[in-house]
Amino acid sequence: MLSIYRLPGKLPDEKVMKVLRRDLFILVKKILFFLLLLILPFVLSYLVATSIFPEILFGQISYPLFILLVSFFYLFLWVFFFFSFIDYYLDVWIITNERIINIEQQGFFARTISEQRLERIQDVTSEVEGFFPTILKYGNVYVQTAGAKERFFFSEIPNPDEVRDTIIKLAEISKKRAAHIA
Amino acid sequence: MTFPLYIFLIIYFIFLLIWLIFSFIGVYHMLKFGFLNLTTFFVIFIFIAVSFLILIASYKYLSQIDWRMNISIFGDIIKINF
Repeated sequence: MLSIYRLPGKLPDEKVMKVLRRDLFILVKKILFFLLLLILPFVLSYLVATSIFPEILFGQISYPLFILLVSFFYLFLWVFFFFSFIDYYLDVWIITNERIINIEQQGFFARTISEQRLERIQDVTSEVEGFFPTILKYGNVYVQTAGAKERFFFSEIPNPDEVRDTIIKLAEISKKRAAHIA
Repeated sequence: MTFPLYIFLIIYFIFLLIWLIFSFIGVYHMLKFGFLNLTTFFVIFIFIAVSFLILIASYKYLSQIDWRMNISIFGDIIKINF
């Protein structure tokens, strides 16, 4: 299990400044979609009950099949919602006074942990695009590092501007410290 | 062609086994890669508790059905024999 007190490859005197996940609205969207699917069997059975063949719900074969299908539907809906939550919960970005760490769960049995030292950071860009991101203040932060082709990417995090400022500030301190040591 | 109704129940149990494997994988990922905090354990507890509720509700309805009933199919006509 991961603990912020036992970071992967923890450096001496390293302090956690921020632990970020996707904005809560992303989770709320998942929950709303789940709730919508939750009422689907009720809506379908209502439609069948009010149709011209309402007895189809209570037939000697159709009733057991209906119960089995509803049970199957709710069990798999619940487990897929759990997977969806895991995908949200296990994607974490950690900003420390030494580095930024990206922990990403890519489906099951695929997990990526990448890190960048703060003194290697060259450019930090925040991006808020769209209606909900603007209203709810969430968006992306891109971190460009020296020599790296791929940019470090914080996806749909709350207060991206504030996070960008924090990274820039910490990177400057880190660069000064590195220059002082050199 | 005649076959007993419990054939559907057997198919259901096969899917239940797949569901059980998925659930185990989910809980394993939460325990292995989740943060060591109360949220992780609370979420696992909620997942298991709701799963039990769905299984108990399913059992309640499924136990009322006579699964030994035979179904006969002649072309596109379905008949029931006791």
